[in-house]
Amino acid sequence: MTLYEGNIGSVYVVKGIHLDQDTITRRLEALGLNEMTKLQIQNRKRGGAFIIKVRGTRLAIGKRIAQGIEVEEVKEDA
Amino acid sequence: MPNHTKEKELTVGFIGNPNCGKTTLFNAFTGANLKVANWPGVTVERVEGSTVYKGRTLRLIDLPGIYSLTSYSIEEKVSRKCIVEENIDVIINVVDASSLERNLYLTLQLLEMGKPVILALNMMDIVEERGMEIDLHRLPEMLGGIPVVPVSARKRSGLDVLLHAVLHHYEEGVGDRVVHYEPELEEAIARTETALKEQYGELTHSRWYAIKLLEQDEEIIQYYPKGAVSPEINYEKQIIHQKYNYIDEIIEDTLFHKDSKAQATDKVDQVLTHPVWGVPIFLGIMALVFFMTFTVGDFLKGYFETGLEIFSGAASSVLTSLGVAAWLRSLLVDGIIAGVGGILTFLPNIFILFLALAFLEDSGYMARVAYIMDGIMSMLGLSGKAFLPMVLGFGCTVPAVMATRALEKEKDRKRTILITPFMSCSARLPIYVLFADMFFGKYAMLAAYSLYLAGVLAAIGTALVLSRIDKERAEGTLLIELPEYKSPNARTIAIYVWEKVKDYLTKAGTTIFLASIILWFLLNFNFHGMTEQVSESFGAGIGRILEPILKPAGLGMWQIGVALISGISAKEVVVSSFSVLFGIGNINSAAGMTELSSMLSNVGFTGLNAYALMIFCLLYTPCVATIATIKKETHSVKWTLGMLLFQLVFAWLMAVLVYQIGGIFF
Repeated sequence: MTLYEGNIGSVYVVKGIHLDQDTITRRLEALGLNEMTKLQIQNRKRGGAFIIKVRGTRLAIGKRIAQGIEVEEVKEDA
Repeated sequence: MPNHTKEKELTVGFIGNPNCGKTTLFNAFTGANLKVANWPGVTVERVEGSTVYKGRTLRLIDLPGIYSLTSYSIEEKVSRKCIVEENIDVIINVVDASSLERNLYLTLQLLEMGKPVILALNMMDIVEERGMEIDLHRLPEMLGGIPVVPVSARKRSGLDVLLHAVLHHYEEGVGDRVVHYEPELEEAIARTETALKEQYGELTHSRWYAIKLLEQDEEIIQYYPKGAVSPEINYEKQIIHQKYNYIDEIIEDTLFHKDSKAQATDKVDQVLTHPVWGVPIFLGIMALVFFMTFTVGDFLKGYFETGLEIFSGAASSVLTSLGVAAWLRSLLVDGIIAGVGGILTFLPNIFILFLALAFLEDSGYMARVAYIMDGIMSMLGLSGKAFLPMVLGFGCTVPAVMATRALEKEKDRKRTILITPFMSCSARLPIYVLFADMFFGKYAMLAAYSLYLAGVLAAIGTALVLSRIDKERAEGTLLIELPEYKSPNARTIAIYVWEKVKDYLTKAGTTIFLASIILWFLLNFNFHGMTEQVSESFGAGIGRILEPILKPAGLGMWQIGVALISGISAKEVVVSSFSVLFGIGNINSAAGMTELSSMLSNVGFTGLNAYALMIFCLLYTPCVATIATIKKETHSVKWTLGMLLFQLVFAWLMAVLVYQIGGIFF
């Protein structure tokens, strides 16, 4: 699944980043969003942007980016 | 020790992630009046200051906040170039200790450059508040033995320890190998280093260059273009991953009780970034900001006016009693005091506006605005990030245009730069205050609000049209860090507001001062020398050329033509021009306004004309300072000229529309 399909409050682990713009991929990686990184969806707008928590920081990311991040849900207490 | 003074000046570079408190720390040392803001892209140019510690002069350079040392954004390029080329002796890497994990990524890259690095652990108070603990013995060990100094930029603690570390550490240097990559990568680095040395001789930061070449960094490949050096495979992904793997190890070893307490920021965010209420709350906050600007500002303004009246009267009588020549008295009282003084009375409004903006910035709310507005901006083909310069534009267009640097794509930048001048800057405020007060009585504030709204609509409309013409869009590519909320820091806000007030005063003392003198000259002289009849002056002549053009907009008076031209020097000058043109000493006072409005009414200038004038002032060519900034930021004279033409035509069209359509109803 992609991050875009995720729900508020759930924790996911990144499986891959597939964006058409390489610069954005690199930027996400520099911000600590890599394969196997855990993230939590803090907030999202219907059809719009997301707020996610990665490595203790909050990031606001747009719809297109969220659609390009492949994730897998992990159980909260894992 | 006396020989200290002879020692070489040390250059210290401040570098860190956006929002890590870097600029606040820098200010604590230099006391420099810099702008500190809570979102990326504030320190767009490097800023310098200096301090003396133990007899040694330290040159301090504040670099833009960045997340990594790649060359993807303007900020990163500026910082990197400065470190490599400016002979920085010591790097102070400011990190937000409460978000150590992400901050260390930049640290690891800095260490690879081989320059002495000192880690300033900022925001330790937040770490403690949250019940987290950082092992201050293990952390330096894992970072190759660099000094790690806990500081608090806000509380100004740990500052001396940090400078002490600078003096001691700079001689020691540092090994460039903190991160040990996996064997395959290390071999590739070694190969590239050898190749580099063979072709370019001994290099000081060869490991760093080798790593950058393996990342296929555009800039470094340009410096060292020789084929054998540039590798075939792009190792960037592996390099990033393995750095983060090492960071995971560091965090594992040094950070305890991570996130043990619930964070207040999350709770606040549930309200402020609510999917439905986020936008109304933002609009409410902005409405409140402008309400305060008008009401509280107007309240304070009264005192300024009384002061100016007394001063103007006193100056006039003193000059008369001194027997000063009539022309000089006229220049001083009618030209300078009327022009500059009139502008100064608007200072309270400006002060309140910037105070409110500073609050929004420093609290951490501003970055959220990018998220909140992302949906709306997407419809315009822009990312929510483009909204930040627009909000800044309410203050002053110049920094707003510079803030567009945070946008990655050139096309988005230009679009944003094009629409930012439509956001009513504080210089246009005096125009609204004056004309709305004169012609709209108790609806004055409503009239002024409507202009702010009209500006926003003009910006949105322009962006919308552009996004329809050009299909390439940046929607959905928002990427911005949302900092922790914090209670605004008095010192930071004071510095910010003082900086703005100072700018305003400087402008009054320079641009407006000069414009007032030039205007006075144009209005009091013609080819035959000084004239008593203003209508026969140079100024009137120039204004008359514009009369027919401005007539359809209800602005067909030569005085208005002159005021609008002068307004290009700075928008406030439109107001000061009116005082000089109509010979009113204190235009912002009740008496001054009555005088001016009766003069204008006599020539058939009504509320509708006033509204058309305000619309024109809102939309037409921005001030010289803005034009210069835009030229500098876009590197294109052609583009800048095109923009000016567009704004002029657009302003004229809108003013004509308002006047003609309004004329049917009123």
